[in-house]
Amino acid sequence: MLGSQILKMPTFIFQGGRKANLSVLRVILAEMRKNYKQFFFTYYSLFWVLILPFGNGLLYYFMYLPFTKDYIKFEWLGRGLNVDIIGFTLIGQLAYTFFLSTLIAAAIFDREREQGTFEIMLLSPANRLAILLGNTFGASIRYLWLMIGTIAIFAFSFNVGILINDFLAVFLSLLLSFLALLAFGLSLAAFSIHSRRGGLIAIACQEPVAYVSGLVVPQNALPQTLAQAGYLIPLTIGLIALRLCLLGGVLLQDIQLLLASLLVMIVVYVVLAHFLIKIAEKSAKAKGTLALF
Amino acid sequence: MEDIVCKDLTRVYESSRRKRIFGEKIVRSVTAVDHLNLKVEEGELFGLLGPNGAGKTTTVKMLCTLLLPTSGYAAVRGLDVVKNANQVRRIVNMVAGGERMIYYRLTGRENLEYFAELYDVPKQKIKSRVNNLLELVGLYDRADDEVEKYSKGMKQRLQIARGLVNDPQVLFLDEPTIGLDVDIAKDIRQFIRKRLVDKQGKTVLLTTHYMAEAEEICDRVGFLFKGKLVALGTPSELSRMLGKFTTLELIVQGVTDQAVKGLNTFKDIEVVAVENVEYMEASAFKIVLHVTSDELTPQTVTHFERFGAKVVSLNVRKPNLEDAYIHLSRRQES
Repeated sequence: MLGSQILKMPTFIFQGGRKANLSVLRVILAEMRKNYKQFFFTYYSLFWVLILPFGNGLLYYFMYLPFTKDYIKFEWLGRGLNVDIIGFTLIGQLAYTFFLSTLIAAAIFDREREQGTFEIMLLSPANRLAILLGNTFGASIRYLWLMIGTIAIFAFSFNVGILINDFLAVFLSLLLSFLALLAFGLSLAAFSIHSRRGGLIAIACQEPVAYVSGLVVPQNALPQTLAQAGYLIPLTIGLIALRLCLLGGVLLQDIQLLLASLLVMIVVYVVLAHFLIKIAEKSAKAKGTLALF
Repeated sequence: MEDIVCKDLTRVYESSRRKRIFGEKIVRSVTAVDHLNLKVEEGELFGLLGPNGAGKTTTVKMLCTLLLPTSGYAAVRGLDVVKNANQVRRIVNMVAGGERMIYYRLTGRENLEYFAELYDVPKQKIKSRVNNLLELVGLYDRADDEVEKYSKGMKQRLQIARGLVNDPQVLFLDEPTIGLDVDIAKDIRQFIRKRLVDKQGKTVLLTTHYMAEAEEICDRVGFLFKGKLVALGTPSELSRMLGKFTTLELIVQGVTDQAVKGLNTFKDIEVVAVENVEYMEASAFKIVLHVTSDELTPQTVTHFERFGAKVVSLNVRKPNLEDAYIHLSRRQES
């Protein structure tokens, strides 16, 4: 039932039938192409995308070493697992870097506003959510393939204890985490358009999210309130699901609840982004803060 | 048919600030456009003139759906800009002066292709339309260079091409020649008049504070002053508004403040402008006067001579749009 509701989402969000949906797709693709060429086009940027997660990963790894040596105790619904430190930080880095890319997408709108192109986008009849989606998706996808490649090489070189018993569970965890983070990024981008503080939001979110999501320390090690707050962020649930099925070898039925939560988050955050962007545009047009020329 | 209609269009900006962090909030309102009534015919090139802060850009923003009016009504080709915003966006486009609003790391062609996608231009038409536009604005040979390598004039021409990518029926040009060299600005003016209006029949609303620009290309012009439309007509009609006046431009050496102030004793002479200029490598003043009778010309020369100044150049001409504008704005200020 939830699935069928999600399938109906595009018609709800991108009203106007097949033709309108095709033009929405064109806007998303155009936005992705532009995003890639405008903001990510040199080998220099490629270098930083590879170096940054390595640096952070090593930082967390050496932070744990004096205390735990080999394993981190990781719990989910009373089920305890001792997971490999490198594996724990690597998977954390994979999801977290992807989360950072969605923050960057939100910050990009500040730049669009400064260079005057944001007004020109909104001067067109293009679907606003499609613009957001193209931008966020473009920013994320370029990190995703790099991250998976990098982490695969890293994992093999360090003999991480990967234990996979259900490939479908791994695939669904990756896919739904990706989509849920994308939806979360959409809401952030819509909010940053409204607040005109995308860059600031991106910087302010990084460290708190790293902690409450369980990237740095497992959720079970956090104070209860903080741990509960963390469940509002798809990164937290995605991380638990990925760690369980990549390091703990759990099966699909063991992470059903997590996957269902990710599905709900996708719906909630896409709908939230849809309304936020409408409110943001309306308020900016009323206040006169949309155009800066 | 009227392509642009404004009825009592008003826009008030409100800004608030606090003197201290938790201090009292001070709200300030500025009426940028004040009950504007305007009609622009299909295929007309209409100039909206006024000084900085007159409300020209605010009017354009409201007409192209980027800003909500505080009150009043505005429509483009019969479509309400508030209620039918999305339909209006399909038939209008806007080009502003300056070097913003394009992507510097994309090529000229990529910029146009991107905006064509946003406007849902049919896939099979994009290539030919982009090529035609690049040719139209003289950028075809540099189409595959990144925009950051373009000169200022090239960027402005690319902006114009961007504004035409959806083949708009109504085009808003907001100070399109600002900051450009004289010859490039002239090329752009001719392009707007001959190609866009005369050949393609587009309706263009041009805002500018260059009077000569409006006089050269506009069918009709309106003067905006502090958000109010204070005059409307063809450039020659507005210039004739000063019908009884003749404009005198004098270059005077050795002139004193007293001599200039002394002109006020003449009933039919109005001092329009006094500016410091260089004449034959010596310092001089250019004084522009409106006089009601030709007989006053020799009297003016005699007046300066009486104060020990020397009139080294004298030009008598009919008033132009700029004279009319200065006259009107002074009247408004007083």
